[in-house]
Amino acid sequence: MHTIKEIYEYRQMIASLVRKDLRGRYKGSVLGFLWTFVNPLLQLLVYSIVFSSIMRMANVDKYYLFLFVALIPWIFFSSSLTGGATSILANTNMITKIYFPREVLPISYVTSCFVNMLYSFIVVFIVVIISGIGVNPLSLLFLPLVMLVEYIFALGIALIVSAVNVYFRDLEHILGIITMAWMYFTPIIYGIDAIPEQWAFYFRLNPMCHIITAYRDILYFKSIPDVPALLATGGVSAVILIVGFAVFSKLKRRFAETV
Amino acid sequence: MEKDIAIKVTDVYKSFRIYSDRGYSLKETILFSKRRKYETHEVIKGISFDVKKGEAIGLVGHNGCGKSTMLKMLTRIMYPDKGSIEIKGRVSSLIELGAGFHPDMSGRENIYTNAAIFGLSKKEIDERIQSIIDFSEIEEFIDNPVRTYSSGMYMRLAFAVAINVDADVLMIDEILAVGDVAFQNKCFNRLKEIKANGTTIVIVSHSLTQIEQICERSFWINDGVICAEGDPKTVHMTYLDYMIQKQKASENAEVQVIKEEPKQQSEEQPVGGQPEASSESEAVPEEPKKRWGSKDAEITAISIRTADGKESRIFSTNDDIEIELSYEVKNPVYDAVFGIGIFNRDGVCCYGTNTRIDRLPEFSLEKSGSMVIKLTNVSLISGEYLLDFAIQQGQGIPIDYYREAAMITVTSNIDDIGVTRIAHEWDLGKC
Repeated sequence: MHTIKEIYEYRQMIASLVRKDLRGRYKGSVLGFLWTFVNPLLQLLVYSIVFSSIMRMANVDKYYLFLFVALIPWIFFSSSLTGGATSILANTNMITKIYFPREVLPISYVTSCFVNMLYSFIVVFIVVIISGIGVNPLSLLFLPLVMLVEYIFALGIALIVSAVNVYFRDLEHILGIITMAWMYFTPIIYGIDAIPEQWAFYFRLNPMCHIITAYRDILYFKSIPDVPALLATGGVSAVILIVGFAVFSKLKRRFAETV
Repeated sequence: MEKDIAIKVTDVYKSFRIYSDRGYSLKETILFSKRRKYETHEVIKGISFDVKKGEAIGLVGHNGCGKSTMLKMLTRIMYPDKGSIEIKGRVSSLIELGAGFHPDMSGRENIYTNAAIFGLSKKEIDERIQSIIDFSEIEEFIDNPVRTYSSGMYMRLAFAVAINVDADVLMIDEILAVGDVAFQNKCFNRLKEIKANGTTIVIVSHSLTQIEQICERSFWINDGVICAEGDPKTVHMTYLDYMIQKQKASENAEVQVIKEEPKQQSEEQPVGGQPEASSESEAVPEEPKKRWGSKDAEITAISIRTADGKESRIFSTNDDIEIELSYEVKNPVYDAVFGIGIFNRDGVCCYGTNTRIDRLPEFSLEKSGSMVIKLTNVSLISGEYLLDFAIQQGQGIPIDYYREAAMITVTSNIDDIGVTRIAHEWDLGKC
C-alpha cells in the first residue's frame, strides 16, 4: 500500500518519462510525431493489398479490418512484454544513482505503449468509418473497459518480466519466441469460432483471447462484447497485477547491485 | 523514532557478492549452478548513528572505506542486509546530476523531467521553475536543446534543479566540483541557506574543509565501521593523522626507487624565485618529475615539528613550524643554497625563499649533516600545503630539487579565504 502511495507521488515522473519516450521515439526523423499515425496506416495498407488481392479470405468480409482491429491491441501487449522486460536494464544509470520507486520504469513503459495504441485507434476509427462498417455507440461504451483490462494485464506481466530479466537475462530472448507463439494461439489472424471444439477450453484460459475477441466484437462486429467473460478476465488480470507488484518489490532490492 | 530525529541508522551490515565469473544466461545458470563461485565482500560492518532534524553531518574516509555505499543505502538505492535505516520526510540526493536529461529536449523541458525524477508534482515544479532558471544563470538558452549546452551550463542546470527540490533530507556525494569558482561559492552559500531552513544534510566528500564549514558532526568510516565521530575538526585530524601514517609507510618503499633514477642536469628556477615553475611543467607533456638534480648532495630525511619539538603534519594557523633537513654529501658542493617553497592545493606558491634570497653568507657543503629552518607565526589559512625543498648551487644549478617532498595540513576555526591570513581587526565603533 505504501508503494502505491509513493508511485502516486511520482506520477509526474511517469508522465514525463512517457512524454519523453513518445517524443523521443521519432526524434530527428522528417515526419517526426506523424510517424505515430503513418506507421499503423502503412501497416493497414499492406494488409489490405495482401488480403484483398492475393490471399483472398472468402468467408470474412473486409478481412484487413478484421485483422487490423485485433492487431493494434496485440501490438500494445507484445511490445509491453518485450520492451517492458528490458525497461530496468535500459535505465541502469538511473537505477544505480538515484532513488525513485523502481515500479515507475515498467509502468511508464507500458503506459507509453498504451498511449501509442490510443493514437493508433484514431486511425482505426477513421478507417472503420470510411470503409463503411461504421460504429455502434452502445458497443463503443465497452471499449474503455476492454482497454483497462488489457492495460492491467499487460502491466502485471511487464512488472514480472522486467524484474526477473535483471537476474536472468535470457528472458528477453526467450520472450521473443513466447510472444510469437502467444500471438498464433490467440485469435488474431483468425476468429474465435475457428478454434476446434476440443481445444476451445484451453484457448479460453488465455486472457488475451477474451480481450482481443472483445475488441473485435466492439469494432468489427459492432456488437456488445461477452461481458461476463470480460469481467472474469479483468479479475484474473487484477490478480496478475498484484502478483506482479509482489514479485517486483521482492526482486527490486538488489537491482542496484546486479544491473 | 523520536520526534527530533531525522535519520536513524541501526546496526547496518552490507556485503556484496563478487562473482569471479558471473553467468546470467540460462545455460550458465542451470549447468554451472555449483560452479558459480562468489566471494562475499563485507563493506559495512555494523554502523549505527542518529542524525537530528536540521543537522548536517559529513562522512569521511579513504577510497573504498564504505562511505559511498553507506550513502547509497541512505538514499535507498541499495538496501542493507541486516539492520535498519529510517528516514523521515522527502529525500533528495545530489549524487547523479542531470538524471534523465534528454539531449534533444530544451532546458525547460528537462527541468520538468529531471525534477519529476525527484518526486515533484507538476504544480510544485511550476512554483520552482523561475528560481531554478535564475539559479542556473542560463535564462537566455533555456529553450534551446540541452545538447547545445556547454558542459558547464549542463551541470549548472542540473545542480539548480537538484538544489531547489526542497527536500527534508539532502544527500550529497562530492558535488561541489561544479562549474567555476563563482558558481561553486554560490552553490555552497545556497547549501548553507538550505541548512538554515532546517534541512537535514548528509555529505560525503574528500574536501574536509567543506565538511568543516557546513557540518556539525563528522563520521570517519574505516573498513566499514565508524572509527571516530564528533566535531569535524577533531575527527578530521585523527583521520589525516592515520592517512599520513599510512602514506609514510608506502613512501618509504618509494624512496628506494627514487634513488635509482638516472642523474639529470637541467636548468631550473631557484625555489622562491619568480613563480614560473608551473609554466615550466606545462611544456613537458608527461607527468612532471618530482625530484631532480646532480645529486652531489641529497636530502635524506625531512622532519617537520611543532614549536615544542613534536613531529607533526597538522598545524593551526599562526603556529610556529620547525623543519629539519638531513642531507648526505657525495661530492662537496661549493656556494650551496638551501631553498623552501610552500604551495597550496591549487598549485599557487604561497611562499618561497632560499638562503641566497635571504642574503645569508656563502657556505659550502662538505660532509653530511642537517639544517633547520624555523617558520614563525605561519599565517596560512586552513587547507593542505605541499612543501618543496631544494639544495642548489650558485645561481640555481639543482643539486637535489625535491618537489612535493612533504605535505602539511593547516587547520583553523575561522573560515577565511585567500592564501594567508593578514592580521586585521574590525572597528565598528562608528556604525
